[in-house]
Amino acid sequence: MRSTVIVGLGNPVLADDGVGLRIAAELGRRLEGRSGFTTVELYAGGMWLMEAMAGHERAIVIDAMVSGGAAGAVYRLGLADLPRTHTADSTHDASLPVALELGRAAGLQLPGDVQIWAVEAADVETFSERLTPPVERAVPRVVEQVLRELDAAGLAQPRRNNQ
Amino acid sequence: MKRVTINPITRLEGHGKIDIFLDEEGNVANAYFQVPELRSFEQFCLGRQAEDMPAITSRICGVCPEAHHMASVKALDRLFAVEPPPAAKKIRELLYMAFFVTDHTTHFYALGGPDFIVGPDAPPAKRNILGVVRKVGLDTGKAVIECRARNHHVIRMLGGRGIHPTAGLPGGWSKSVSEPERAEIEEAARKNIEFALFSLQVFEKVVWRNPAYREMVESDVYCHRTYSMGTVDEKDRLNLYDGQIRIVDLDGLEFARYPASEYLDHVAEHVEPWTYLKFPFLKRIGWKGFQDGASSGVYSATPLARLNVASGLATPLAQEQFEKFYAAFGGRKPVHQRLATHWARLIEMLYAAERMLELATDPEIASPDVRRIPQGIAGTGVGSVEAPRGTLIHHYEADGKGLLQKVNLIVGTTNNHAAIAMSIKKAAERLIHAGKVVEEGILNRIEMAFRLYDPCLSCATHSLPGSARLEVRIRSHAGEIVRTLRREG
Repeated sequence: MRSTVIVGLGNPVLADDGVGLRIAAELGRRLEGRSGFTTVELYAGGMWLMEAMAGHERAIVIDAMVSGGAAGAVYRLGLADLPRTHTADSTHDASLPVALELGRAAGLQLPGDVQIWAVEAADVETFSERLTPPVERAVPRVVEQVLRELDAAGLAQPRRNNQ
Repeated sequence: MKRVTINPITRLEGHGKIDIFLDEEGNVANAYFQVPELRSFEQFCLGRQAEDMPAITSRICGVCPEAHHMASVKALDRLFAVEPPPAAKKIRELLYMAFFVTDHTTHFYALGGPDFIVGPDAPPAKRNILGVVRKVGLDTGKAVIECRARNHHVIRMLGGRGIHPTAGLPGGWSKSVSEPERAEIEEAARKNIEFALFSLQVFEKVVWRNPAYREMVESDVYCHRTYSMGTVDEKDRLNLYDGQIRIVDLDGLEFARYPASEYLDHVAEHVEPWTYLKFPFLKRIGWKGFQDGASSGVYSATPLARLNVASGLATPLAQEQFEKFYAAFGGRKPVHQRLATHWARLIEMLYAAERMLELATDPEIASPDVRRIPQGIAGTGVGSVEAPRGTLIHHYEADGKGLLQKVNLIVGTTNNHAAIAMSIKKAAERLIHAGKVVEEGILNRIEMAFRLYDPCLSCATHSLPGSARLEVRIRSHAGEIVRTLRREG
């Protein structure tokens, strides 16, 4: 069985910083009943992110991003781009590439397949549980795209009766 | 005036920036540490039910949610005038000790340690946990990962969730500890003790016995003589979860000792025009600028400061290390050499591990009596703990319905804002003379100066794009950039 971990990254009380958590939670709901999926909320990247991925064959990471683009823009990134997103690369412990290398060296099973989705944020500096409107509108778009890709890859199979 | 900007700081939580201002002669006039401002925290909280605060404040920061959760529930105990049963206090402290072990472990191996174990002049790409593992062995990397995993597991078991505990309530804790859980935690505590002792050996062998590093630790560059703050029990021994706040002067004599509820009588906050950061200082002494000495109200609240205020540590192995530590500095106490904070942090890690074992084997820990129901509202509640980065205070005021009217937090790192600026300045002074910047090594040395405080700015900010690129901008008199130095982290 291929197992997939869906990681939402961000801060739920800092406006658009919570977008990754919102999308991951929605994906968790939509994938309920399908086997092989785990949803994780993370508030810090680096070692935490590496540890959350360990033991899974595939990871889907969703984070906010501040890159000067239009608020609500959705980016599909590769692993090499991950440090550019908002939370993925904790400067508190180790950068994600360093954390991944450490995990591999220590013998952890880390996914070879890592997909990253990032949403351009408008505000990540105001305490609020609400996303700004353009970022809010991006939530269903990302959810549908991720689900479509999972279906196309034949990954989101209905749960078997014996599970 | 020239201005040197280092941005962003590698391996630091939150997006920070260092500005170094030069005077007319081109020497360092001041060094400032800046972070972007997060807006509207108080507005976000006001009008909410006070009992929501342990959940809200633990989300301010992805790094030390447990510290906020604990300070918050302790503030709520006061706000609702309810004394938790002994088992509830012990469970809180037990979770908190597991958190301390994992937090201090991460700092030593991933942040503070690389500067020494890999070397202060090693390229930044190598000064990380991988570099440490290459030097002291792959098993150490595994041990760090295992240490984090077992303590996160303990936190999840006791706190209800892995990252943000949810079990804290005014008057106690929402779940008791089962016997199988207790046994598992006891086992984890034993492994923590072993790992803390191993880490102390690494420090001694690799850092303290290396004359070059030892000289650096003992040197004047990283020395600041200020007041020290920390929390102590009734015998003045270190306590990370509860007790009174004690401040000692430059010679180690008690300057103040007070319950957290009286913090406003002792500490005030200075504001500078160039930053939204606040600089707490000792009220009785007053703010005299970014200065060392007994006449300056600057204090520090760090693992080193905590050892300085303590008469000793309440667990046997940590006490031995405490004595060894002060003996290594010629019996002088307090120790003002700031790089010794890394060593102090490991001694605290051992203390936390031993305390965890004491609590896990306490007959009362599995008691089902973990909560008292609040019967009224006192209106004001102040709670404090020692967070890994300094004394953390939560202060709430609520109306008769328990709705918040006022919220004030002093977070661990905030206590050290002035000291951090002073340490950066001192490190920079050695490398910038008459407008000439010794480019080689300046970034590393400045980073070492603030990293020893383990500043976590997430409480006040959040990490922006996590690029580890380091940038130094040198500005001319008129403020234009005359030079930009960049380095990939």
